[in-house]
Amino acid sequence: MSTPLLETRGVWQRFGGLVANSDVSISVERGEIVGLIGPNGAGKSTLFNLIAGVLPPTQGSIWFDGEDVTSLPAAERCARGVARTFQVVKSFETMTVIDNVIVGALVRNTVMRVARQKANEVLDFCGLAGRANVLASDLVPSEKRRLEVARALATEPKLLLLDECLTGLTPLEAQTGVELVRKVRDTGVTILMVEHVMEIVMPLVDRAIVLDLGKVLVEGKPNDVVRDPKVITAYLGDRHAVGA
Amino acid sequence: MDTDFAKRRRRDLIVAFCLAAIAAVVPLFVKDSYVQNIMVLTLMWAALSQSWNILSGYCGQISLGHALYFGIGAYTTTLLFTKFGVLPWFGMLGGGLISALIAMGLGYPCFRLRGHYFAIATIVIAEIGLLLFHNWDWAGAALGIEIPVRGDSWLKFQFARSKLPYFYFALALACVAWFVTWWLEDSKWGYWWRAVKDNPDAAESLGVVVFNSKMGAAAVSAFLVAVGGSFYAQFVSYIDPESIMGFHISLLMALPAVLGGIGTLWGPMLGAVILIPVTELTRSYAGGSGRGVDLIVYGGLIIAISLARPQGLVSLFAPKRKEATR
Repeated sequence: MSTPLLETRGVWQRFGGLVANSDVSISVERGEIVGLIGPNGAGKSTLFNLIAGVLPPTQGSIWFDGEDVTSLPAAERCARGVARTFQVVKSFETMTVIDNVIVGALVRNTVMRVARQKANEVLDFCGLAGRANVLASDLVPSEKRRLEVARALATEPKLLLLDECLTGLTPLEAQTGVELVRKVRDTGVTILMVEHVMEIVMPLVDRAIVLDLGKVLVEGKPNDVVRDPKVITAYLGDRHAVGA
Repeated sequence: MDTDFAKRRRRDLIVAFCLAAIAAVVPLFVKDSYVQNIMVLTLMWAALSQSWNILSGYCGQISLGHALYFGIGAYTTTLLFTKFGVLPWFGMLGGGLISALIAMGLGYPCFRLRGHYFAIATIVIAEIGLLLFHNWDWAGAALGIEIPVRGDSWLKFQFARSKLPYFYFALALACVAWFVTWWLEDSKWGYWWRAVKDNPDAAESLGVVVFNSKMGAAAVSAFLVAVGGSFYAQFVSYIDPESIMGFHISLLMALPAVLGGIGTLWGPMLGAVILIPVTELTRSYAGGSGRGVDLIVYGGLIIAISLARPQGLVSLFAPKRKEATR
């Protein structure tokens, strides 16, 4: 049981001449909320896609729940317990909210009645129960984000990957989002989240991993990480690091 | 609102049953064989369009080459009967299975293509099929094959004196195609297909095996279309490549669904009920020398629909939904 839930071992990703991830080795323990942060172009989204199985890494391996999943496609990883949301929401626009969630629930439940019931529970959990029969295209942006989370939760994941799901929301919406993330963790789901907005992420996560220029720069407790001169340099440039 | 959903499903089933029952008694009163002919064709195209709708409407993989499966169904039945004396019923089943297999064989490379590229590939493949049959001497080549008359019987599925048996078979076929759609709509496959249509990347991330979903839709769709093709061969008792596998056949399958509402349960039925009689009537009254008037009517209807009701005619019957305030 001491194996971490997720582990990347020496992962490289090259796009032509561009090295998006170089030798990234991170691990996520069961029950944690881990924040993956870093300036623009640090390789967060690439790493995220590698973990979700959108594309295979150029080199290195990805381990989930004690198994090498490097060569498994996204759908297969979902079946093993990896669920994700998208930075740019990808709702099924012509389907109702409940039908969107049913698609996720069908991974574990093949009986339609059970899947529908599960979807209803998840919508309730995410505070979308009142919008169940609305078309996804009619939701407002914050509701669409919530739907992304609901759909992912319906697959009953062990690991939930959240890709900037709190970015671009009003402070109030972001706050309800934070509460939702905590609530999800309390049900026993491990969370790895990519986030830009430091003020929101830092109080929420147990541990932060900072990526810069495709490499792991620092990792540790959020409070230590934000004071780390290397992190301040990466975000703000050399001049500001002196004062730290 | 779980119960609402179950209620709507049950209502659809009851409405379909009533409509089928009404349709079943109509030819007992309408004896005119020209009108009966139109009714047979309407039901057949309704069934075909409904089948096309499974792959192209629900799963979103627009096929403009379903004439291939229609042709394979027609040729399999006819060739088995004329060359080996195999009863058309087995030919129907065989044609369906062959078509389903071919659809999956073709899907293997083609489903890697997205959107327009897929549609173009289906057109090209159907044209290749047409050319092959044009030049295949054993299968009658460009001259086609006439199905020899062996007397009226259900066993050989031939009826020279009455159109009623054809009518009831076409009705049954339309019912089956509708029922299969109804049944699949609330199954894992139905949800997977719609998810694949709306956003394949998101679908994949939720455990939907996109490739398999498309293959499944293609197989079901091709099977049913091939059965329709077999039926058509028996109905007209003469087939040739151009009239069975021409591009217009593929279009005729797509148009009722587009008119009525693509990716909807009732769309293809509604579309066929309007479109087919209109074409048949314009063909016989305005056709003759000016071949093509029916196609003008077609084009006009499609333009009118895409301007006024891009979601198709069924949306007129949909319960009023609050439009988003945007």
